[in-house]
Amino acid sequence: MSSKFLDGQLGFLLLVNALVVIASLFLVGPRFVGLYNLQSMAIQLSELGLLAFGVMLAMSAGRGGIDLSGVALANLSGVIAFMLTPTFATATESPLLYCWVFAGFCLLTGLAGGLLNGALVGYAGLTPIIATLGTQMLFTGIAVGLTGGSALRLGFIEPLDDFANTSVLGIPISFGLFLAIAGVLALFLKYSSYGVRLYLLGSNDNAAKFSGIKVKRMYLITYTLAGLLASVAGVIIAARTSSVKWDYGSSYVMVAILIAVMAGVKPEGGFGRVICVLMSAIALQLMSSLFNFMAISNFFRDCAWGLLLLIFLFASKVNITDFLRLRPSPATK
Amino acid sequence: MRNIKMRKSTFLLSSLSLLVAASVALPAVSAEKEIATVVKVTGENWFTRMGQGVEAFGAETDGVKARQVGPAKADAAQQVAIIQDLIAQGVDAITVVPMDPSALEGVFRRAMQRGIVITTHEADNVQNTMVDMEAFDNFEFGANFNQKLAECMGHQGQWTSFVGSLGSLTHVQWADGGAQYAEQYPEMELVSPKNESFNDANRAYEQAKEILRSYPDIKGFQGGSAIDVIGIGRAVEEAGLIGKVCVVGLGLPQDTGPYLESGAVQYISFWDPKDAGMVMNILTNMTLNGEEIKSGMDLGVPGYNDIQVTQGPGEGIIVRGQAWVDVDVSNYKDYPF
Repeated sequence: MSSKFLDGQLGFLLLVNALVVIASLFLVGPRFVGLYNLQSMAIQLSELGLLAFGVMLAMSAGRGGIDLSGVALANLSGVIAFMLTPTFATATESPLLYCWVFAGFCLLTGLAGGLLNGALVGYAGLTPIIATLGTQMLFTGIAVGLTGGSALRLGFIEPLDDFANTSVLGIPISFGLFLAIAGVLALFLKYSSYGVRLYLLGSNDNAAKFSGIKVKRMYLITYTLAGLLASVAGVIIAARTSSVKWDYGSSYVMVAILIAVMAGVKPEGGFGRVICVLMSAIALQLMSSLFNFMAISNFFRDCAWGLLLLIFLFASKVNITDFLRLRPSPATK
Repeated sequence: MRNIKMRKSTFLLSSLSLLVAASVALPAVSAEKEIATVVKVTGENWFTRMGQGVEAFGAETDGVKARQVGPAKADAAQQVAIIQDLIAQGVDAITVVPMDPSALEGVFRRAMQRGIVITTHEADNVQNTMVDMEAFDNFEFGANFNQKLAECMGHQGQWTSFVGSLGSLTHVQWADGGAQYAEQYPEMELVSPKNESFNDANRAYEQAKEILRSYPDIKGFQGGSAIDVIGIGRAVEEAGLIGKVCVVGLGLPQDTGPYLESGAVQYISFWDPKDAGMVMNILTNMTLNGEEIKSGMDLGVPGYNDIQVTQGPGEGIIVRGQAWVDVDVSNYKDYPF
């Protein structure tokens, strides 16, 4: 692989992952890396990972970019899909059709919510943290209003349950979808003109503007993508819990931001890699499950996340690959 | 060169701190059966008290390792994640106080498919559970409130009931149970029933003030949510009606203490989470051992000496005790929550 692929951040993340796995073998035993636990962790990872991608996109676009409304939009899309789907298909008669229509309405809601965020940031020129805080409350409010605050049960719908819980060739389907989205997103950011312009915009939005990039449209597209990713998370949440509720995953917002920052996404914009976010999410999931296996208090976990955040911010100033590849001196290149 | 050394040590340092972080507690390796109790949230008085019951069960039961876990934040997502990790870990049984019962159906079903015993508490609508434990029958609990209220009112006069919201099933059942009990006393008149406080003491206070204005002769209030008695008690205190109006309802001893002291509130009832934690584990252990749970059994915990067993909404059963605790000014200090 080229040295550009394995940069310091990715090297560090890979090492952390390896370290946690080795630690878990000593602390918990081989059960931790057994197929069932790997699948269980992969299933837990997907919804959080998608939200972290949304945060990554928003951060990369710069101007203090962030998307706080992700979880709220994920839940709202589930709620709206739950309300609208029965008019087109019933779960008992045509379960497969029901699931596709459900997913469709989720994505449409995500699209609409993302467009709203994008319009507020791009065209109204609001600061992202304020705009998305506002839409977060708006989405939550609508979801509470529509449901009266209680959970709505989807019940046992076989295709939806299969999607959330079964594996093909050992890979859980929902995790496979997550990986596919990660792959497409990575390629899209690397090879499309949108990707190039996104990082330019994040690095210096004035320069981007004067070099002819349609800045407003860029923000619109970026936040819409984040909204779409959130709504995919909404489908996964609905499938995994076979219900929809306005406050599911309310603690995810901060964790998604932590994943992005740990992955080396620059909060000031201009840099963020999908593969790093993926590795960062995996590391966090591994540690989270390890703590649960060892019956460590969940308060300690919050403390550990804070510690990690500091270590990673520190590590981003140190280039580990320098001494990983030790000797091949720059001259041989 | 010096620079490289420095970087190396930084890296070693950070990896070391990670290892230290991960090795805070070593898992105990044993052939004991393991029962995990999963609560809604850690660090709340209610569930700290429940943890004492879980601990007590573990201490007095041989061959069983009992422990309590719960998320640091009350979020159904974190509860699901904890249960999923417990399944992967291969514990023998999981007993849960669901944050949101419907969000857990899927993970419960998978746990049972893997041969793990699943039991629940305060979730009589869950389908994928083997045993759901309820501290009491909600109608009886409501009737118990009204019995106290009726005695205090001298079995006559106007009274009203409060609920957290009309959507809170248990609260509505308590109000209905109370109303049914009161029917045997023709001189008791129920006025403007089921006022919604939305679990807000201020709202309950406003509502109680309005009722005291519209029904100046009212003699009794039956609270629903745990803070209703606080709001009603304040309104009664301010109106100078202490001793003329009776207030009973669900309440927590520490929160309601001042109103019990002032005499604005006569009785509160609740169930003791410590006993509930204990009984959850007893029933789980019985299920693990394949013992049959039958009506009339004595589980050896106060309030659970004559349990009632009914069929649940799914395959499982619902077990009910009569485990409410009535508390007045004389004994509320015995309950530290």
